[in-house]
Amino acid sequence: MIGERRIRVSVNGTVYEVGVEPRTTLVDFIRGDLGLTGTHVGCEHGVCGACTVLVDGLAVRSCLMLAVQADGSEITTVEGLEGPEGELHPIQEAFREEHGLQCGFCTPGFLMATYEMLTDDPKPDEDEIMEVLGGQLCRCTGYQGIRRAVDSAIDKLGGTPPADVFGAGDPGEPDDPDADAVGAAPTGEGSHG
Amino acid sequence: MTVEIPKSIDQLPNPEPRYIGKRVTRREDAALLTGRVEFIDDVVLPRMLHAAILRSPFAHARIRSIDTREAEAMPGVEAVVTGADALRWQRVSGSSPDGWGGRCPAVDKVTFVGEPVAAVAATSRYLAEDALERIEVDYEPLEPVVDPFAAMEEGSPLVMEANGTNVMMHRVFTWGEVDEAFESAAHVFTERFRWNRVGANPMETFGTVCEWDPVTLELTVRGAIQSASFMGLGRAATFGLPTNLVNVKANAHGGSFGGKGGGRGIDIAAMLSRKAGGRPVKWIEDRVEYLTSGGSQAWDRHYEAELAVDADGRMTGFRVKLVDDLGANGEGYGSISAAKPLTAFTGPYTIPAAGYDLALVATNKLPSGPYRGMGPPPHFMVLEQLVDIAARALGVDPAEFRRRNFIPPEAFPYTIPSGNEYDSGSYEEVLDAALALAGYDDLLRWRDAARADGRVVGVGVATAVEPGVFDWNAYATVGLPQTGVPEGATVSFDIRGSATVRVGFAMEGQGQYTLVSQVVADYFSLDIDSVRVIQLDTLAAPPSFGPGGSRLGVAITGAVLGACERLAEKMRTVVAGLMQTTPETIQLSEGQFGIPGVPEAQMSLAQVAGTMLARSDLLPPGMDPLPEATYVWTAPDRTPADEMGRAKSYLTAAQAVHVVAVEIDPDTGQVEIVKYALADDCGTRLNPVVVEGQTDGGIAQGIGAALYEQYVYDDEGQPLTASFMDYLIPTIAEVPRSEKAAVVTPSPFTALGAKGCGEGAIHTTPAAVMCAVNDALAPLGVRARETPATPERLWRLISGARGNAAESEPNRREQQ
Repeated sequence: MIGERRIRVSVNGTVYEVGVEPRTTLVDFIRGDLGLTGTHVGCEHGVCGACTVLVDGLAVRSCLMLAVQADGSEITTVEGLEGPEGELHPIQEAFREEHGLQCGFCTPGFLMATYEMLTDDPKPDEDEIMEVLGGQLCRCTGYQGIRRAVDSAIDKLGGTPPADVFGAGDPGEPDDPDADAVGAAPTGEGSHG
Repeated sequence: MTVEIPKSIDQLPNPEPRYIGKRVTRREDAALLTGRVEFIDDVVLPRMLHAAILRSPFAHARIRSIDTREAEAMPGVEAVVTGADALRWQRVSGSSPDGWGGRCPAVDKVTFVGEPVAAVAATSRYLAEDALERIEVDYEPLEPVVDPFAAMEEGSPLVMEANGTNVMMHRVFTWGEVDEAFESAAHVFTERFRWNRVGANPMETFGTVCEWDPVTLELTVRGAIQSASFMGLGRAATFGLPTNLVNVKANAHGGSFGGKGGGRGIDIAAMLSRKAGGRPVKWIEDRVEYLTSGGSQAWDRHYEAELAVDADGRMTGFRVKLVDDLGANGEGYGSISAAKPLTAFTGPYTIPAAGYDLALVATNKLPSGPYRGMGPPPHFMVLEQLVDIAARALGVDPAEFRRRNFIPPEAFPYTIPSGNEYDSGSYEEVLDAALALAGYDDLLRWRDAARADGRVVGVGVATAVEPGVFDWNAYATVGLPQTGVPEGATVSFDIRGSATVRVGFAMEGQGQYTLVSQVVADYFSLDIDSVRVIQLDTLAAPPSFGPGGSRLGVAITGAVLGACERLAEKMRTVVAGLMQTTPETIQLSEGQFGIPGVPEAQMSLAQVAGTMLARSDLLPPGMDPLPEATYVWTAPDRTPADEMGRAKSYLTAAQAVHVVAVEIDPDTGQVEIVKYALADDCGTRLNPVVVEGQTDGGIAQGIGAALYEQYVYDDEGQPLTASFMDYLIPTIAEVPRSEKAAVVTPSPFTALGAKGCGEGAIHTTPAAVMCAVNDALAPLGVRARETPATPERLWRLISGARGNAAESEPNRREQQ
């Protein structure tokens, strides 16, 4: 056996401190070790973008990164988008309303890429949108519904950072600035808002 | 009991349907958007093993020996299979033309790069891949044959020596007086075309989890499977098992487009499972495997085609000579893609005579398989280029030339020379709608002005027919069984009156669970969210084929409506008994059973269902108390093929006209699509949102095939397109927004008048884009005859025409 290294990551607000083989890719760790199977593997060579997750707020191809490289990071996956009562995030709602998905396999990657874009710039221009969406492949939709969905998501959010949609400003659940305890309750996504 | 299935929306027992024909948001989406849907790679079973496959690095080689001992001794490795196991447990696959096909893993010889040679099941995929490196295979490389013309020559290396030839089939079909048509034609236009290999590339590759019990021989197959029942029948045939020992549980999957493949992955995982004592074995194809050796590649074609035209500009004959390179051993149903053009050979035109000289040839490349459209898209690219060549030569506007040759609306149902019958159509209306939407006259003015400025611009108008509702009769010519294809559904109410529909197909992306819900909700006047649709395994589900060949929307609508009719009839009988009247007196209207005009003689669905289940003693004698009915729909009045392959096969014929404007950069050869407008007619649109989504996706794939996508092999049969950096799937930057108009000519033959619509755009888009490209090139005196029309190919053509490049047009043999 190749041996393991211990890593500590926060995924959707839950902290995990576990051992992984150094060669384990981040996506295999997220899907296999953590059981968060909403992130999908489409090409394993960094082109299709289906496996896109946020690592410290940046959209990355989790098939091209090793789990050990994510040590100490905060990771957000598609499972981190919905609200505490299972409400769809406005970005997800926009994709649903605009028929921005068919088989849905590439969709988590598009959602995360859109989430990052709208975090950086709540009112991206056409070039920015095309550049971000141009990094993701979809074989079903011809991108038309996805393009409409992004416009709709921008409208729905109305400038609100995607991370602040659920829980932000809720006096009952103040943001926990120090989510250190292993297995800590979800803290919301405020850290990269 | 005869079941009368409503042929139009106004025949539903609901004066105000809320869902059918409306823009309904999909019920599948919330689970997909939140990552909750279980795809095959998400499946984890107790004691599950993971498989990896060792593949041939050679296109053609004899296997002298395989040594798996070291791999088997590795910790975590639980089973290894090779061709020896295939020889023991498998029969030759039935997906090839007669006398072709093989076993998997390969026995004695490999015939394409990527052919499985051995496979390992271990406690993790990482370990399984480690173990592959410890398997020693001693190959004796043989000379490969990669070009189908070389493969047809005397003395060529033989892909399967025992057959003595690489020609799997050569048939000449003649329909009508085609020779006479050409002899008496005022004009004959001839051209050669090359359509290079393209393929489906769904974003999810194939994957499976198999359990094959070595004691009972029961085989349970999970997987990203397009047609669960068909896959089950295939595995039973391959393993020589009774069909009821194979149970298939298809997972929701990430697209298919016909190109999911999978049979051989299942065979390998199943054999590994049997060797590992029946433990579940998961095999997930990776993208490199998919691109080089999966169900990925289709339509590797060399065409010579000619068109006969009379003095009035009417097309009188169409002849096609096709050399179809099916790759090694013909497995995977590649042959049926050459047969399907018979279902729409002459397109939307009144061409009275046609001929098809068809050669299916084996080479040392991946066996080609199905892809969305299943063969006609290249055929229509060829036909539509010839139509433009004719129109241009005769000085007739291409749209006008097509109009002159359209089958008129009053001629339907219309039997084409190659035997299929088109149900209905309004082709001129569709053409007019497309031209109006595109602003055709303005486009032509724009083109002419831009040309005057020296720009290379063109406008293309193309049209095609989309045969809908897959039918095996179309494939008799390549030796496949002539049978109909069933689709069934069971509709039931529980004791509280909640509706559940049981079907046999998995979610794939076309919104069919939403469609099922729309139909049941409107039939019984329910809220759509109250209808539950569940998928059963093949041994439990009603007979089902699932999606494929633009069939499921039509077929499942027929099945669900048939079941609703049966269930309503049953419930009417119950209510009549309770109200002491005859069933004919009882009407279902707006979700209530009762005597019309008598408000006190009404029962809700829940009351009727509750009575049936809880008080069966009150029912008429002999009455089945289950508030449930199943209906199995098959296409009516299909016919087997005659000696020339003529059959009434596909039930519906949708039609479309696409108008495309392009500008080509003469310095780079890059094509920019500056306008895309279309009109189509697929009968009643059951959910227009979904229809438009299917069109959008088909356009993107069609643009890919026309301009970007190609599987490339070198002279030794090595695949050179083994990643998404080499095989170029269009991104959002390559796919323009399109404008769409709908014409609705309901099918007289289907439930609610719907026609198959899942493959329409890919029939028309490659033709339309190539028409536009060729219109742009026409002033230069050159033609693009090869797809994809890549920047390099177009740059060579343009440069050649301008006399400053050494090379001109590629010839038909060129691979890249």
